[in-house]
Amino acid sequence: MNIFLTGGTGFLGRRVVRLLREDGVPVRCLVRPSSDVRALKEFVGSDLWSGVEIVPGELSDVASCRQLIGQSDSVCHVAASLAGGAAVMFLNTVIPTRHLLTAAAQAGVRRFVQISSLGVYGAAGLSTNAQLDETTPLDTHPELRDPYTYSKIVQEQIAWECHAQSNLPLTIIRPGVIFGPGRGVMSNRVGLKLGPLLIKMGGSQTLPYTYVDNCASAVRSAVHADGINGEAFNVLDDGLPTGSQLLRKLRRAGQGTRSVWVPRPMIGPLSSIYEWYSRWSEGQLPGVITRYRSDSIWKKLRYTNEKAKARLGWSPRVTFDEAFERSIAGGPA
Amino acid sequence: MCPAYERTMKPPTPRLRMALIGCGQIADAHLQEAAKIASVEVVAVCDMYFDLARQAAARFHIRGIYDNLDRMLAEVKPDVVHITTPAHTHGPLTLKALAAGCHVYVEKPFTLDALEAETVIAAAEEHGKNLCVGHDQLLDSTWIDCRLRIKSGQIGIVKHIESTLGYPISGQFGAVVAGDARHWVRKLPGGLFQNTISHPLYRILDLLPDAHPRIEARWDRVKYEFPTELWVQLRGAEVTGSLTFTSSVYAQRVTRVYGDKGMLEVDFDAQTIRKHAAPKLPGAFGKLELPFRQWREGARNLRRNLWRFLKSEIHYFSGMRNLMAEFYRSIQQGSAPPISHAEMLRVTRIMDEIFADCRARDAADIEPILAPSNQMLEAVR
Repeated sequence: MNIFLTGGTGFLGRRVVRLLREDGVPVRCLVRPSSDVRALKEFVGSDLWSGVEIVPGELSDVASCRQLIGQSDSVCHVAASLAGGAAVMFLNTVIPTRHLLTAAAQAGVRRFVQISSLGVYGAAGLSTNAQLDETTPLDTHPELRDPYTYSKIVQEQIAWECHAQSNLPLTIIRPGVIFGPGRGVMSNRVGLKLGPLLIKMGGSQTLPYTYVDNCASAVRSAVHADGINGEAFNVLDDGLPTGSQLLRKLRRAGQGTRSVWVPRPMIGPLSSIYEWYSRWSEGQLPGVITRYRSDSIWKKLRYTNEKAKARLGWSPRVTFDEAFERSIAGGPA
Repeated sequence: MCPAYERTMKPPTPRLRMALIGCGQIADAHLQEAAKIASVEVVAVCDMYFDLARQAAARFHIRGIYDNLDRMLAEVKPDVVHITTPAHTHGPLTLKALAAGCHVYVEKPFTLDALEAETVIAAAEEHGKNLCVGHDQLLDSTWIDCRLRIKSGQIGIVKHIESTLGYPISGQFGAVVAGDARHWVRKLPGGLFQNTISHPLYRILDLLPDAHPRIEARWDRVKYEFPTELWVQLRGAEVTGSLTFTSSVYAQRVTRVYGDKGMLEVDFDAQTIRKHAAPKLPGAFGKLELPFRQWREGARNLRRNLWRFLKSEIHYFSGMRNLMAEFYRSIQQGSAPPISHAEMLRVTRIMDEIFADCRARDAADIEPILAPSNQMLEAVR
């Protein structure tokens, strides 16, 4: 097996590279021409580095992607844009992915592992306390979501299109919020940061989190496991905390944040008011909070990782408590 | 100008059908502002990447989605085309849209150089179509207020204009440009500056009327292999100007207009105007008078912005909306467009001269003759 991997210098990607090298898999790692690979080299370690081939380039068109893939027989697409407006997200995530998918299908790779997101589901349409699993449909109104989620939903849609039309052997990994050293444990699933203040949304909702090492190990499993063509897997840790529990843990660890609490019954009405004002004022306050978005991310839902455990033979080895300690202790990302 | 400005403006003729080419970041601003103008109906978006066109269409509820310009022009037959593509494509795409019988609103910079600008302007005149370049900050309400205060004699006769653009490369777009040696911005004759200095430059030229001011310019490399710092001096017969572009300070858009009686400082991000003038009281009293006047200016700005906030008039792209409204009105009324062809050409020609001077000094490796102004450094402190 030879893997072509994108996003190898990133938070998740570098861990995937190391795990694959530990398995003895040669990794052809795409990096931007301007990227500094020293951190990746240090992270992977000199013993394993000999099996890493660095390929500078961009996924700017199908022909370039074909060249970059080279003789690799599998693709692991980890790279994605994390910040910016919808246009930037599409330029940096969706369009390169389309090129790569087309090239991989043409190259006849035996597996294409796509890192998606747990946010792609149409959670707004679920009832409170419903279970969100791999059978939950993708969001049918991605344009109403935040730019990152919008781009991840469309990225996944085009991957499925390519799977259906070109028989690309596709496996999708849908991680929850990835946390770890260097990135901390806070996310918008807990609430919104307003300067130094946290607007805590509800608090009783379970946070769909995955520790970065656990997530990387799931990606490794998706590269190796048999019989998973055309399957998607939610990747989440066990023993997940609620928003309130996480904030309490942070406070006990001396990293408390000043917060204002929005009780659960108020989230929907306040989101609607904000959305109305944003529209009425023609965008004087940007439409970042809408009823649809708040229903999508702050709803109380139940999550499961059973399918990943059963079919990938994976389990989150690092417990949430240990992952929390490692994450707040800082250290390199 | 209040947001009701366009909403209450009853279109005298049927709405003009607008199409947009290039669905990158700035396209959002065009689509958002166009939606607020009663005389505009956005009918199609086009991008070489269909996915990009489709996301814009989905978010702004636009029916026509194209990845082929010729087909879009033939099928949609828009009245007006907005061009929000990379700078080096502005000229050819404008020519194509004009040939298809469309009026054109093109983002800054107008064209790649003055020669291309002349060709485009000639084509617009030949086809009898209106052109507009995105010099939208000229119609920003803060700049309009500044012009009114100058006209009322608050600072006397304008003698010098100073524009500062703080542009951290770590920003969204800058980081992309810095990370990709093949990025289109890096290939422009004026590099990063060609894509960015239009705004601070036309703010100076709005008050510096000379057709051919004397120009001294230099760019410099600091952290990157391409120039990211620029200093320009412009000397007209009666008025001078200086432009500073720097990537080493926080993001800011400030223009100071110096007259023989005082100075107005326009901060486009804060949407404020501050007046400075020599004290009227002597000696130590003057040291009390000036802070008092500054406090009064601050209170006035707070009142103004509070009132504008209540009326929901604080919008980053309000100047663009006003410029669009004026442009569409000029089309409907058959009047002159809000920015004259002569002005488009003058700004483009002066940009050419700035970059030519920079390249000449770069090649000769002449020591910098200009440095960031004291006012700029003071603002940063």
